[in-house]
Amino acid sequence: MLKGYFTKHRLGPIMVGEEFVNMIPKAKGQIWKACVNGDAVEVIALSNAVLLDVLRDNVGTLGVKRGCDLGTCGCCAVMVDGEPRLSCLCLAGDAEGSEITTVEGLADGHHLSPIQNCFAEYGGSQCGFCTPGFLISAQALLNQTDDPSEEEIAKAIEGNLCRCTGYQQISDSIRAAASILRGEKENKNPTITPHSNPHPTGPEEPNMPPGHAR
Amino acid sequence: MSGGYKQQPGSGGNTVRKDGKRVAGKLKFQPPGAGGSNPKMKERDLDFIPESVGGKEPQPAGSHVHDRLRTGTVVGKEVALVDANPKVIGKAEYGDDVRLGGEIIGKILRSPHHYAKIKSIDTSKVEALPGVIAVATGADAPKTFGVLPVTKDEHAMAIEKVRHMGDLVACVAAVDEETALHALNLFEVEYEILDAEFDPRKGIEDVDEPIHWRGKYHVGNTNIQKRVFQEFGDRSLVESPAASSSRKWRFEGVHHGFTEPHAVVAEWDATGRLQLYTPQQVPHYTHRALSTVLDVPMHQINVIRTFVGGGFGGKSDPFPHEMCAAILARKAGRPVRITFDREEVYWINRGRHPSYIEVKIDADEQGRVAGFDIDALIDGGAFASFGHVTSYYNGVLATSPYELGSFHYTGARVWTNKPASGAMRGHGAVNTRCAVEVGMDEIAEQLAVDPIDLRLANLLPPHCRTITGFRITSNGMREALTKVREGSDWDNKFRKLPLGKGIGIGCGFFISGSGLPIHWDPNRFPHATVHIQIDMDGGVTVHTGAADIGQGSTTAVAQVVSEVLALPLDMIHVRSHESDTSPVDLGSYSSRVTFMNCNAAIRAAMEIREQLLNAAWEMTGYHPTTLVLNDRRIYYKHDPAIGVSYLEALHKAQEDVGALIARGAYRSPPMGGVHKGAAAGLAPAYSFSAYVAEVDVDVETGIVKCTNVWAAHDCGKALNPLSVRGQIIGSCHMGLGQVLSEKMVYGRTGHLQNANLLQYQIPSVHEMPHVTPIIVESSDPEGPFGAKEAGEGPLLPILPAVVNAVYDAIGVRPNTLPLTPDQMWSDIQKKMKELKIKDPRKLESPRLEHGNLQPVLEQRAEEHRIRDGKRQRTEDTSAYVNGALFGFDPNIPMEDQVEGWRSATEPEPEKLAELGIAGKAWLKQEQRKMGGDN
Repeated sequence: MLKGYFTKHRLGPIMVGEEFVNMIPKAKGQIWKACVNGDAVEVIALSNAVLLDVLRDNVGTLGVKRGCDLGTCGCCAVMVDGEPRLSCLCLAGDAEGSEITTVEGLADGHHLSPIQNCFAEYGGSQCGFCTPGFLISAQALLNQTDDPSEEEIAKAIEGNLCRCTGYQQISDSIRAAASILRGEKENKNPTITPHSNPHPTGPEEPNMPPGHAR
Repeated sequence: MSGGYKQQPGSGGNTVRKDGKRVAGKLKFQPPGAGGSNPKMKERDLDFIPESVGGKEPQPAGSHVHDRLRTGTVVGKEVALVDANPKVIGKAEYGDDVRLGGEIIGKILRSPHHYAKIKSIDTSKVEALPGVIAVATGADAPKTFGVLPVTKDEHAMAIEKVRHMGDLVACVAAVDEETALHALNLFEVEYEILDAEFDPRKGIEDVDEPIHWRGKYHVGNTNIQKRVFQEFGDRSLVESPAASSSRKWRFEGVHHGFTEPHAVVAEWDATGRLQLYTPQQVPHYTHRALSTVLDVPMHQINVIRTFVGGGFGGKSDPFPHEMCAAILARKAGRPVRITFDREEVYWINRGRHPSYIEVKIDADEQGRVAGFDIDALIDGGAFASFGHVTSYYNGVLATSPYELGSFHYTGARVWTNKPASGAMRGHGAVNTRCAVEVGMDEIAEQLAVDPIDLRLANLLPPHCRTITGFRITSNGMREALTKVREGSDWDNKFRKLPLGKGIGIGCGFFISGSGLPIHWDPNRFPHATVHIQIDMDGGVTVHTGAADIGQGSTTAVAQVVSEVLALPLDMIHVRSHESDTSPVDLGSYSSRVTFMNCNAAIRAAMEIREQLLNAAWEMTGYHPTTLVLNDRRIYYKHDPAIGVSYLEALHKAQEDVGALIARGAYRSPPMGGVHKGAAAGLAPAYSFSAYVAEVDVDVETGIVKCTNVWAAHDCGKALNPLSVRGQIIGSCHMGLGQVLSEKMVYGRTGHLQNANLLQYQIPSVHEMPHVTPIIVESSDPEGPFGAKEAGEGPLLPILPAVVNAVYDAIGVRPNTLPLTPDQMWSDIQKKMKELKIKDPRKLESPRLEHGNLQPVLEQRAEEHRIRDGKRQRTEDTSAYVNGALFGFDPNIPMEDQVEGWRSATEPEPEKLAELGIAGKAWLKQEQRKMGGDN
């Protein structure tokens, strides 16, 4: 009668006499190495661990989001050796030794990548939970082409669910990022974006006749 | 303007002696706080300053009381969300991203039965498992809670009974997730299984074991949680209608489908206070409920709202797992994190109610709406949640935008053994709206008129009262309809497209903030409060409790403060996360945030503005009425060179008082009638929307594809057009899911069969039509700078627009949603049988020959257009109440004009038999009237 949640975890420890015995032996921890966002990472992870868990719990890249655990929402997308992959459907062991890029790895310090700036500027991100996944999918597309067609954009993000935006402003963002990559538009540079001075100067010359101003 | 800043008071003047030596302590220096990269004031941006105050921004809807506060800084401009950057770099912390030192993992034991008595729970084996740190059951928190004070029917964990599969039974916290999951298997719970009920239609019958018991207020022995009866207007009008549409609808349950599963982290800190991190739309209600359940005063609890990964109403109840985390953390003495998996998200549900709705619309020979008869039976699931309100909304939110001769509504919400339904975007209004708008389409067809003209000739004007007494202020319905008609090239397409292609219209009406706060006497507390604090550095810290769930409320609040003070957005810092620092706010529901919080923020900012202007007055000698605020400076309006910088004025203003602190609050004006339920649906303003949708229907497979949508929404004033468009397109996406693919499937045994995102089908990018968002600005007199809501209202029209377009395409009017291919195909087959044809390609799409009424309606619409324009611009301030179209005098109470004008909230006993399925709930009596149970 019961499916899913209630039976999923049935293989727990059972009492044998006074002792708990694991029906299935617990997986062993082992050293897992990879290059995450340019850093060599070495953590101890269970041998059957899923990449998503390792990235979130062991590596600490919490930008990789867990939305469904079933590969249906796309929030957990990361790039493994340049290919967008759903980290919830990927065993950590399979990604061992590879180059992994998460959303945290898209920016260069404070210099956001064009796709990140455009998501902010064009409304591609509302609640922001699906955004990391979309950014990875979009970046993977932009790595292939800097002039994606409408259809290519749709195809690139078809595995990502967004409940806020209705995708339209996401497509706008991707198109805008592509135009930056093509050099038609400038990427925002945080070092020259204004940090407002609360003590600005006004016009120096009064525009009233002399003597009017005090 | 000022003499500079010196370290030491004294004669001033030179800091360098004649011999060239510097004088210690008399150095001049820059004002503290000065510095930055744009040292020059920008010119005033006249394009964003309204005409009424000398700018160039057109104001077709008339001037607004906030116009004089406009500085052309950010209002009306497209700005990125102020919290966009943390989101795009992955640094935004959502519920599960809060990782505290020493945290342990909590898991919840859920009921495997739909309905059962708990006879015993044995936790000894769980407690003995190595790695388990704390265990809790219902006995640890016997107090009830619930989002509405009238219906507190939830426990942290089940006490006597479990009421739906997945109901919380117990919880456990362990060192890691694996151990916690294993521990769940060691609970020994003995159940006595009860007869479960899944069919809401049976909810109005007496049963042995009602799902809840409300004592003397319990209706019979049934599962009726709430019943509503409303009858208004002249019922004689519906006796001999010229056209009549009656349809029975079935709507499935729909889930919010937010991408972030629920998660919570609780920690009792070193001082013994509870710190609770949760992605909540309504942190304040959680705060209250925690206090009740944990028996801890509210001031000992700090609710910290994390980033919220989508809410849509689904994160607005205080949740039992939040209590569980707090209880476990208290027992364990360590932080506890509970994160749901996707399946658990569906078990807690709170989505849109599965509903059986019957709508009858009658029209008279002049094409006026003689009456709406609505009967809505809604399936509440196992708990009340917001359901008390939903039962009203299903009827009362249909009373506008059309002028009605009469209105008759019976509604009932029943408990079933399913996960609880609750509030979801477009709360309670969506399903009925769909039924009403499709009915209007059918009426138009019977009268042989264009459905848009029929609507245009029956709209309520701005500044009027609806039949149940709602006070409508601004109303952009007419403009919205006109714009989608033009945008979609309606007149050349409607009833003219080939088979399989169709175009349809739908309208929407929604509240912008609920007029009465649910939880308290509005005379004692305001709806929203905002604090502003500015210290010597000039940065503006805004404290608000408004919960940003992605809709951009933080940005909106920052924008209005920025606008009033003429400071760039980067100088405004909004702090809204903690209940310790933010003033009490009711949270993000019923589309109240922009309206109420921004109004409060404007008031707070006005106070600061006044202090700055007074300081500038003292410094420049010019009276504040002649001073202008513009881009970090305050100057004489005829000469920008005479003035002071913002920082100078600020320092002057704080000379004697230190940091400037101001607060502003919003309270809605008194309004509404006195009848029972008059408060439901009251709002300080209402939004209006109209959509035209184009669809392709494959008659051979039943596949419906929506290709184009023109979506006009009256949001009063778009504070941030980028966000408003985002809300419109996003609403369209969510509504499209409900009309085409989304439903919660309960199998024959009541089991939820699609508790995952694979089978619960949210539209992907391929299913999305091209949406053309059209912003209509009717400038609400009470809204902040004229703004109203844009988050929920735009969802309503897409459902009927698509259903009407399907009719235009193939002549089939579905009345069961969603229009999945199998559903559509069975509707097509029914039609084929009716027409006695074998080949679906022989279906004919309907055509329209305008009847005699068409020119009459067109003329009336034109007259009303002129009337509405005058009322909108307050050139005409005469009273208008629903009924004037039928010749009644708006200045005399209706009851005195028509004999038989009804205004009733209980049915007449002799008419009980005529009521619809929800109306049948009135056949039962409350226990107190039966002399039964105390």
